[in-house]
Amino acid sequence: MFAAALCFFLHGAIAEEVPRKAQACVACHGPAGNSTDPAMPSLAGQPAQFISMQLFMFREGNRKDPQMSPMASSLSNADMNELAAYFSTQKPAAASHGTASENAAAGRRLAEQHHCVQCHGPALLGLQHIPRLAGQQFAYLRTQLRGFKARTRADFDGNMTSAAELLSEKDIEILADYLSGLTPSRD
Amino acid sequence: MSPAPSRSLISLASALVCVFSAAAAQAQAPAAPAAPPSWQQGRSAEQEKSPLHPFAIEVTGKAANLLPVDKLKVPDGFKVEVWVDGVPGARSMALGNKGTVFVGTRQLKDVYAIVDRGGKREVKTILKDLDSPNGVVFSRGTLYVAERHRITRYDGIESRLDSPPDAKVVVDGLDPQKQPGHFWKFLALGPDGKLYYNVGAPGNIVMPAYFQAAISRVDPKTGIIENYAQGVRNSVGFDWHPQTKQLWFINHGRDWLGDESPNDTLHVATRKGQHFGYPYCHQGDTLDPEFGKNRSCAEFTPPALKLGAHIAPIGMRFYTGKMFPAEYQNNIFIAFRGSWNRTIKQGYNVTRVSFDADGKPKMEPFLTGFLVDEKADPPMWGRPNDVMVMRDGSLLVSDDQNGIIYRVSYAGK
Ligand code: HEC
Ligand code: HEC
Repeated sequence: MFAAALCFFLHGAIAEEVPRKAQACVACHGPAGNSTDPAMPSLAGQPAQFISMQLFMFREGNRKDPQMSPMASSLSNADMNELAAYFSTQKPAAASHGTASENAAAGRRLAEQHHCVQCHGPALLGLQHIPRLAGQQFAYLRTQLRGFKARTRADFDGNMTSAAELLSEKDIEILADYLSGLTPSRD
Repeated sequence: MSPAPSRSLISLASALVCVFSAAAAQAQAPAAPAAPPSWQQGRSAEQEKSPLHPFAIEVTGKAANLLPVDKLKVPDGFKVEVWVDGVPGARSMALGNKGTVFVGTRQLKDVYAIVDRGGKREVKTILKDLDSPNGVVFSRGTLYVAERHRITRYDGIESRLDSPPDAKVVVDGLDPQKQPGHFWKFLALGPDGKLYYNVGAPGNIVMPAYFQAAISRVDPKTGIIENYAQGVRNSVGFDWHPQTKQLWFINHGRDWLGDESPNDTLHVATRKGQHFGYPYCHQGDTLDPEFGKNRSCAEFTPPALKLGAHIAPIGMRFYTGKMFPAEYQNNIFIAFRGSWNRTIKQGYNVTRVSFDADGKPKMEPFLTGFLVDEKADPPMWGRPNDVMVMRDGSLLVSDDQNGIIYRVSYAGK
């Protein structure tokens, strides 16, 4: 309730003017941050705190990627907050991924058994520094889950590394397939 | 040796292994996670479904003009204002001879210096790439910094903020196991000239090693360390009473025993060597369901005051300034950075502890307005965590959620 009010307040204040800074981003992350490339994450509608924290981790070198790290290296904290405010207020496009029918129930079961829903929220829409998974690109989700398990994707507080530790390769496949097909927003 | 099997045989074999292990996994209860994050340690099986979680700070900071700072409230006659923003992760504060405010961080790696130039404040990052440099003390021209694993000194730093001297080690090896746990440190200089610091418990509720769950002190001249207080789960704020010179400290109680239990606490150590209960006894009167078996709370020193469950007291200082009304002299200000481990949240304020004629402490909220909705996630927009009395008697309050420092002053009547 409060979060919604605060978000409205923040977004109302700065979201409109940003796009100049965000233009470089949409070349890879898609128009308004809605990616059309299965390996490239969508940013639209991600929680602002999640976006600014990821940009910070790329800049500080905790998280590394040959394409993304150089994009973050010269951003100031204020730039990151502005970009986060912009992308977090963009409407996520409807999921383009179709979940295999046998994975819908199995995916939900895994998401509950491994407590994904406790942190990422019952509809996997994310909050605060925890990302939305619903409707995110399939190949991207799979790569990240493999990365957490292999400890090649660093996370800020160790929560995700520990959550991914017990997943088998098959679980990862099912979860990515399930999550990618979910509706990415509340409305 | 048998010849290498063909490709199709391998995939058939691995498919069989998959079927087999899936069946085996289904037959057993789901395995427990190998290494849960330390904040989850001590949860019951049913609490694994709990949505309660610690809140992450805004690592890039948040501009004060985007926050409802006008909702902050102080008692009549007092005024609260933003002193400076753009100090991401601001935690403990220390005051230099020339008025520089030094600020440590816990989840970041930086130490800042804030220089006041006639009301316009400049934030400089003076130290980088440290390991959770939470504790800062300034004394006789030297800045002392406590990281997870060591305490260092930076001599003469205030006159060379743009080219700080190299660190000299006071003591190293304070984090020998490099495991998760409450190992960021608060640091304070005692009336005996020794540096006091905490080494917290390695998890929520676990048996600590002899140097853990303790407040210790190190003589900066010799580097010799001693345990001062034992059985302290995690204290990240302490100060000495201006008259009795006794050590007062706050302590964080364990999590996952419910909304109302146990209380976080305020203590006084009347001498070296007292034991304050952890992990056996909480808040002076509640035995731990696991470690408290066959123990009695009577063997431990009880708290001076119960502060509220999971309320997360961080900074605490005695008020010795000349600005606030006389009845504030030698009162304690405590910053509550929590709670998260309750379904109905409380805290997120700076509280005043005063003493009655018999020396009995009582508390009342002093700076409020960070907590907005006790049932929401998040319930607050800011988190106070250290307090420091300035030379003019005003009180600075740091907020690591947003990287902001506020100033409370008194104008009177
Ligand atoms: C050259 C292509 C490219 C450009 C341009 C680019 N990015 Fe990225 N970005 C990536 C890739 C690839 C990843 C995923 C990295 C990985 O797999 O860890 C990524 C990841 C991210 C993430 C983390 C997303 C998540 O869900 O974890 C954020 C946030 C982000 N980028 C923001 C931005 C912003 C803001 C800009 C513009 C300043 C930008 N990116 C420009 C390629 C790009
Ligand atoms: C204890 C809380 C917690 C649990 C449980 C948890 N996550 Fe996460 N997850 C996080 C946090 C926090 C992040 C952000 C990590 C970071 O980069 O610091 C994250 C990030 C992710 C990402 C990266 C997404 C992106 O856009 O970069 C994926 C994918 C993910 N989680 C999937 C899962 C799945 C699947 C589960 C269940 C198996 C799960 N999570 C369980 C907290 C959690």
